Amino acid sequence: MKAKFFSVTLLTAGIALTALNAGARTLIQNKGSDTLVNVAQAWAEQYAKIHPEVAVAVSGGGSGTGIAAMINGTVDIANASRKMKKKELKLAEKHGQNPVEHVVGYDALAVFVHPDNPIKSLSFAQLKQIYGRKGKFSKWTDLGVQVPGCKNQEIVLVSRQNNSGTYAYFKKAVLGRKGKYRMGTRDMHGSKDVVDLVEKTPCAIGYSGLAYATDHVKMVCVAKEDGGPCVIPSVATASDGSYPIARPLFMYTNGEPQGKVKDYLDWILSDVGQCIILKKGYAPVNKISCE
Amino acid sequence: MFTATELNRKNRRIEKLIRLLFLLMTALLILPVLIILATLVYKGGSVISIDFLFTDPTNGMTAGGIFPALLGTVWLVSVALLISVPLGVAAAIYLSEYAADNWLTRLINLAIINLAGVPSIVHALFGVGAFVIFFGFGTSILAASLTLAIMTLPVVIVATRESLQAVPQSFREACWNMGATRWQTIRRVVLPNAVSGILTGVILEVSRTAGETAPIMFTGAVFFSPFLPQGIMDQTMALSLHLFVVSTQVPGVPENLPYGVALVLIAMVLLMNSISIAFRMYLRGKKKW
Repeated sequence: MKAKFFSVTLLTAGIALTALNAGARTLIQNKGSDTLVNVAQAWAEQYAKIHPEVAVAVSGGGSGTGIAAMINGTVDIANASRKMKKKELKLAEKHGQNPVEHVVGYDALAVFVHPDNPIKSLSFAQLKQIYGRKGKFSKWTDLGVQVPGCKNQEIVLVSRQNNSGTYAYFKKAVLGRKGKYRMGTRDMHGSKDVVDLVEKTPCAIGYSGLAYATDHVKMVCVAKEDGGPCVIPSVATASDGSYPIARPLFMYTNGEPQGKVKDYLDWILSDVGQCIILKKGYAPVNKISCE
Repeated sequence: MFTATELNRKNRRIEKLIRLLFLLMTALLILPVLIILATLVYKGGSVISIDFLFTDPTNGMTAGGIFPALLGTVWLVSVALLISVPLGVAAAIYLSEYAADNWLTRLINLAIINLAGVPSIVHALFGVGAFVIFFGFGTSILAASLTLAIMTLPVVIVATRESLQAVPQSFREACWNMGATRWQTIRRVVLPNAVSGILTGVILEVSRTAGETAPIMFTGAVFFSPFLPQGIMDQTMALSLHLFVVSTQVPGVPENLPYGVALVLIAMVLLMNSISIAFRMYLRGKKKW
């Protein structure tokens, strides 16, 4: 049978090719946070241009996915928009992994509302009443505003799926260490989905990395204290620490990075790499100047 | 002379009505296909070009082409076929030509039916546990294709078994009477006569394999990879996952890009289908009964 011969040849050729290529190119597996995935993609795309011998394969799935992969030892670099928990570190140790943390940038978590929403600023206390399990604000009128196009003035809460680092950080920062989200939030599978939903829903409020902001949603000015000065999220206010909901973004490696992985991380933290993260709407680790 | 009674006429009217109603429902089936195709062509047709098919994505995947994803899907489908077709055909030959009707055969049949009913996301998690971690293939084309192959195995087995059983028993008996062994009969008479049916199974498998996202996103497909896969241990981009990514994960993607990706995916499946259908018609023309 001709077809059979052909398929056997193809399989053999495939295996031979794999064997031949094993030493020719280094593959770096990079997986995790959906917040970082687009930056990670941009880094990989640029790095391929200057280091064609290193292939960085990027996947998303959420910080939890990346950390789980690090624990299982199936990635070289795990991206996370939150720190690894003690429990996770212990589990990693049990699997013979030794996760080492690297801060690669900062992210301001912006609170988004529909552009028709007249609200200008929100304090932490107000956000807690909106998002918290026992919060009292369930209508926009509770905050003293009337939102045009919003039936019943009922607040539609947009949140993230629970393995998201964004979900975890917002919870810790706004609701407190033991805080819980209110029931009935809409948990979206990605920062972009949050923004898309808020854009289409006058009643909605949502949070996501600043990088996902579009012209079709409004960013709320956030104040740490009631009546205190509020700060608008931006790369500048995230870098200087004045914006209250800014968080570090991490990359984890197994042990101190070595060889090609070290080169890659060094490049990410260099001016070139940091200018890329800045261009994507995140704050760089150090002060840098980009064209 | 037969004259129609009132009852006859009434029955005939109802018959006509029912026939029309069912025709209408059948016609409705075409509607979604047409709407989907029309929408995709209308909204995504503008991005399709030779460059779009054969260049890499650029500028944070908001511009450029889809070549790595297209090639990745070809890899995933081909490797999955290489695994599942020999396995599935062999299993079907055993079940149809050799197996006695006993508890073991019934158990195998039950297992096949159940395997077909397992949701693709469950296959995905099985793939992670078995191929990625336990067998240590890592996230790779091999792990993803194995997952896809297991998922589509029932389709191949069932289609092959049906087409083997469609070959008249008298063909086999004639062959045995000439002194041929069971294997000689299968090899020279049964299989050649069943090829068109087997091919139907393969077509169905290709379409399903190319479109699945869940089983590959944990086992071998990546969000982005700047290089083309060069072997089965590499990771790869894939069209279906790329479609998911550009429509939900990447900000600032021009609206027509996801539609274009979807159009390419569907065109690829339709193309493969039509090639196989043409081949099948050619084979059927040679059928001896």
